[in-house]
Amino acid sequence: MEYPDNNAEAMVDTELSYRQVTTDVLEPLFKFGKAYWAGLGLVLVGLAYGGFCIIQQLVWGLGVAGYSQPVFWGLYITTFVFWVGIGHAGTLISAVLFLFRSKWRTGVYRAAEAMTIFAVMTAALFPALHVGRMWNAYWLFPYPNQRQLWQNFKSPLMWDVFAVSTYFTVSTIFFYIGLIPDFAAIRDRTRGAISKVYASLAIGWRGTDRQWRHYMAAYGFFAAFATPLVLSVHSVVSWDFAMAQTAGWHSTLFPPYFVAGAIFSGCAMVITLLMPLSVIFKWDAYINEWHFEHLAKMCLLTGGILTYAYLMEHFIAWYSDNPYEWGIFAYRAVGDYWWVFWIMVICNCVIPLVWWWKKARTNYWCLWIVSIFINIGMWFERFNIIASSLAHQFDPAAWTYYLPNYIEIGVLIFSFAWFFLWFLLFVKVMPSVAIAEVKELLPPPLRTDAKEAAK
Amino acid sequence: MSNVKAIFSHFDGLIDAIADLKSEGYTDFAVTAPLPRHEIEEVIYEGEPSPVRWFTLAGAVFGGIFGFTLCSITHLNWPMIIPAGKPLVSIPAFIVITFESTVLWGCMFTLIGLLYHCRLPAKDMDPELEDPRLSDDVFGMVVRNLDHATANEIKSKLDGHGAIETSITGVGLA
Repeated sequence: MEYPDNNAEAMVDTELSYRQVTTDVLEPLFKFGKAYWAGLGLVLVGLAYGGFCIIQQLVWGLGVAGYSQPVFWGLYITTFVFWVGIGHAGTLISAVLFLFRSKWRTGVYRAAEAMTIFAVMTAALFPALHVGRMWNAYWLFPYPNQRQLWQNFKSPLMWDVFAVSTYFTVSTIFFYIGLIPDFAAIRDRTRGAISKVYASLAIGWRGTDRQWRHYMAAYGFFAAFATPLVLSVHSVVSWDFAMAQTAGWHSTLFPPYFVAGAIFSGCAMVITLLMPLSVIFKWDAYINEWHFEHLAKMCLLTGGILTYAYLMEHFIAWYSDNPYEWGIFAYRAVGDYWWVFWIMVICNCVIPLVWWWKKARTNYWCLWIVSIFINIGMWFERFNIIASSLAHQFDPAAWTYYLPNYIEIGVLIFSFAWFFLWFLLFVKVMPSVAIAEVKELLPPPLRTDAKEAAK
Repeated sequence: MSNVKAIFSHFDGLIDAIADLKSEGYTDFAVTAPLPRHEIEEVIYEGEPSPVRWFTLAGAVFGGIFGFTLCSITHLNWPMIIPAGKPLVSIPAFIVITFESTVLWGCMFTLIGLLYHCRLPAKDMDPELEDPRLSDDVFGMVVRNLDHATANEIKSKLDGHGAIETSITGVGLA
């Protein structure tokens, strides 16, 4: 029988052994250095300030946020869309690239998937905060009730509730199933209480032929289910806007435009998170220049689509000859929010162009700094869409200039702190590289090779 | 009855051993690997697909019907007067919920199918498989329910295929 060498594209060091992979990946677990505590401390400060702002809003009501007529969607919805978008790259890498049998996915997918789940958990805070009386947020879900009141399923906001909750559930199942063989590896490498905890998480996994057979079949189905979600979730988020009659929002361009933007920002966030991880944990054999270059190429593709979408929505607004539509697009570029618009254009359309040069997209500092600019640009893109359209609607007498206040900024800081809290915990309690799948890339140890080596 | 446990460090030795056991008509054995290798599945199951797919199909069909029915029944339960003659049960408006429900239930049923067929969560596995090396860098095999003479025969067969460690375990050991 032939044993194909899965490592055809030289992703990992072929000299690695199965044991070395387990050792390398489990090495950083449960070891907390000074830098880690410093990072965690910073996160806790952010959570404390953000928590103070959230309590203010809970006590005094939504009025303490900067919302005022006619801008009732502001920073909260901007940040909701931002975090949902961030999640998309994780699913793209873990599910879509799995179906395409892309080898560069293996080293990065676990951390990217974790990023997806934490990003969706962060995003989910915002509708609850935005509705004001967050203790009633469960009203968003259909449940049998005495008065037989039901949600309006024709509303894109209800579609969004279903899209985001399905996305979170499917991503979590996919993430956990991927982790089971690695939990078993931790169970077998540790002792005492830690081993018992991981034994519960591994639910009795032993890697038998029967288990692997059904596991691989099910994993393929999970990937197949998660794949359309990559396209559908942000399409549904875009319909939150596009289904309204508001000028600047009511466009059929929105779904592909939002999906491209989501993958663009998500891939940038994967670079932002995984580069320090690879350097600090000395995981050059598993996550290296090769992976980051592929992520940068993905950003170039989706960033190109995004730039085209920016140009096209302005062209369509002009070509439509609709004064309200053209008015809002001109207002975005040269009106009160000109600075938001130009931060968006420079960060998303201009700065990433540097990655067209191979030297730039293989240089760690350049990759990391540009990825942060993309994250900033993508947050401003959502703010540009939401704030400018609402502050400048059909009636000039109602025009206003909305800017977030300290409460909303505090909640924004809380969201980043909350996201990084989960990510920091994740890297110390779960393997951030998929052990079993990286082993799959190594050539299997063969007797024939051993005999030849002995000669 | 006795069981034979073998540990292989070489993958080709394991595959040859499985093929040998199968050709002699043994079916009551388990093979473990620290990573998924399709060769093991091919030599044992000879390309027979996993039945988990039927769970997936059933879940997706149920989910699709559930999503559309939920929207339709709740809208018919509160028949609001919609302007412009828009229908109460509207296919385009309900497509999104139908799709999401298809994916959600499809995944849930796949998860149930996976756990059911893998016999998970499991507490009591073969004691031979509770070896920490098996999730690390070696391949394991347990051939079950053998009489003593056959167990010895299988043991020497597996030794011949390059097993780095073989042992006979279980009740009735001589």
